[in-house]
Amino acid sequence: MVNPPVASTGPAASAAPVGAGSTSVHAAPRRPVFSGVRAFSYTLLETLELRRDPLRAALALVGSLLLMLIMAYGMSMDVENLKFAVLDRDATSLSRAYALNVAGSRYFIEQRAITDDADLELRIRSGELALAIEIPPGFARDFKRGAPVAIGAWIDGAMPQRAETVRGYVTRLHQDWLVDLAKYRLGHELGAGFATVETRFRYNPDVTSLPAMVPAVIPMLLVLIPAMLTALSVVREKELGSIINFYVTPVTRTEFLLGKQVPYVVLGMFNFLLMVLMAVTVFGVPLKGSFATLTLAALIFVFSSTGMGLLASVFTRSQIAAIFFTMVGTMIPVVEFAGLLNPVSALQGAARVIGEIYPATHMLIISRGVFGKALGFADLHASFLPLALAVPVILGLSIALLRKQAP
Amino acid sequence: MSNPGNIARLGIKELRSLAQEPLLIGLILYVFTIGVYMAATAMPDTLYQAALVIVDEDGSPLSARIKAAFYPPQFMPPRAVSLAEVDPGLDAGTFTFVLDIPPDFQRDVLAGRVPAVQLSVDATRMRQSFMGSGYIQQIVQSEVNEFVQRYRANPMPAVELALRVRFNPNLEPSWMGALMETINHVTMLSLILAGAALIREREHGTIEHLLVMPVTPAEIMLAKIWATGLVVLVTAACALRVVVQGALHIPIEGSVGLFLGCAALHLFATTSMGIFMATLARSMPQFGLLLILTMMPLNMLSGGFTPRESMPEMVQWIMLLAPTTHFIMAGQAILFRGAGLAVVWPQALALLVIGGVFFSISLRRFRLMIGQLAD
Repeated sequence: MVNPPVASTGPAASAAPVGAGSTSVHAAPRRPVFSGVRAFSYTLLETLELRRDPLRAALALVGSLLLMLIMAYGMSMDVENLKFAVLDRDATSLSRAYALNVAGSRYFIEQRAITDDADLELRIRSGELALAIEIPPGFARDFKRGAPVAIGAWIDGAMPQRAETVRGYVTRLHQDWLVDLAKYRLGHELGAGFATVETRFRYNPDVTSLPAMVPAVIPMLLVLIPAMLTALSVVREKELGSIINFYVTPVTRTEFLLGKQVPYVVLGMFNFLLMVLMAVTVFGVPLKGSFATLTLAALIFVFSSTGMGLLASVFTRSQIAAIFFTMVGTMIPVVEFAGLLNPVSALQGAARVIGEIYPATHMLIISRGVFGKALGFADLHASFLPLALAVPVILGLSIALLRKQAP
Repeated sequence: MSNPGNIARLGIKELRSLAQEPLLIGLILYVFTIGVYMAATAMPDTLYQAALVIVDEDGSPLSARIKAAFYPPQFMPPRAVSLAEVDPGLDAGTFTFVLDIPPDFQRDVLAGRVPAVQLSVDATRMRQSFMGSGYIQQIVQSEVNEFVQRYRANPMPAVELALRVRFNPNLEPSWMGALMETINHVTMLSLILAGAALIREREHGTIEHLLVMPVTPAEIMLAKIWATGLVVLVTAACALRVVVQGALHIPIEGSVGLFLGCAALHLFATTSMGIFMATLARSMPQFGLLLILTMMPLNMLSGGFTPRESMPEMVQWIMLLAPTTHFIMAGQAILFRGAGLAVVWPQALALLVIGGVFFSISLRRFRLMIGQLAD
């Protein structure tokens, strides 16, 4: 496995003067700026390694399709099927009607009634209930008299985002109930208030999660898998000792890294095409915009994500550290800071800065723009610039950190 | 069968080999301090700085009143735009919400004609779109109601809704953010340390050294589990004390000891899982890919990222097999709701069972692997 570079860099080195930019005509130009042949020998080496470990390539392709399936179906933005229960201290038809009003909505599922304060406490503490409603004794009587009454609603705030949604739902259901009540029991017609708000969800009119999720999952997987594939390419040689080939042959750092990167870029692009195919066929998410734009973005993006893998590989000295470094450098930013759930503009502090410059942020905008908003290159060029800038920065950093000598 | 002395000494060997890697230790410290801090302070789970613009075709006191009702931190101060700017702005993602107040809106409201305000939402903004549209509707409705009430008496029945948010009354997103980040790192780190360490031994051939010693596979595995578990547990405990309680000032309602107890059970399960993955993978690159395939669902579908009950039922069932699901449930209950063992024992039991199953499967596979090596 370690022999090919020695074998192939030998002839490559002697053929070195063909390299572009070799300005010196005199006496044996040992180092042209960039020799495609020498870089290619490393491409060949990595390709061979990939081909002899077909399980790895298969794992990358099948795994990303599998993940896409799980993630796109599993992540749902709609908060529904929330569990609630009622502590009805009044037990009149009016109080039951209130509980039915909540249970009848598609957001809440009623659990067995709460028996007393202790039961309420225990069940909300255990996380069984997202919402507990308490109707006070004398509710119906006071209501008929016109005395002010209050219904208690306890919301589990342990998950702030869910609690926020629950609060919105309960308030709305309460309002609806009051309007109904006014109409049927008290006889005044309130109508639906004084004005209505017509909400139109653009780009995803049914507000289904799938068309929103699929274009987001593609960039995510396009960072994680290519980065992890590349992450071990250099450090593995360091750990297993074959890096000596790099130390003792005339191959330059740039040739070494770019040569190693190419096969993973090819694999990443193949992966990309498979995922787009799956998005359009299996998930039925239409690709409304320009496919060429998306592909171009993906190509630049795969260069940056494999570059991140290389950076992890160059920076670390053991494969364990490289794996950890890659996970920390890709999974965490892409899930939390790249605008997957919250737009980057809403983030705060250091996370905001990371989000602004992280390539996945821009790929996410492009992917959503092309899939959901039918956009093309002209509309998205603003996102291409930071995406393209990231590539030389990451690669430059990797090249700068790579040592041509054993430390 | 197993000799505690052997297990202890083999575990110390694991700790020593970790101590050889300053970079790895640095990374571990980084994720549990700066990493947790950054993620916790970043997350505006509740609506924050939503970009809203208003097309005011009415220009009345009512429309001005509605416009004034949107202010930071939930919304960026709304800008007035013309109708022609709406589509390009939404396309480019400059703003997420457009509120269009039609001509003669105020007159129609007062005349009881129930006019409609149009709200356009960029649905690709996910969480912000869904949460924000509800918010905006409520704000518009209540502004209109208040405005009208100055002209008419209120015929609404007087039933108040007393909303109380328990456990995190101000819905501070950093609480959940810090817990989730800690749990993610605990899971990731234990999978990597336990699994990758085993693969490294195999790749370097040092596992052969163990083969010629009078130790059993169970001892080797138990040693890896306690050593990895200890490292992760101690760092997580420090993170909880220094970062979560210290720097972030997140009040912890329940017992930290109980939480760490659950973390230990969780670590038993995840380290066993790591070893299991290491017996599946034949090389480190394969292990790295397996790690992504496991970490992604564990990270995003365990109920910390989006609520469990909203996921498809199938996914909910499958994720019950994952230790993270139970650990997140227990962690939320203990840390935020102040629950005791009486409440979280089902989760603790589930962690123990999952850990036991993974341990016995990977022990069998590990024995098989050792057997093949010996041949």
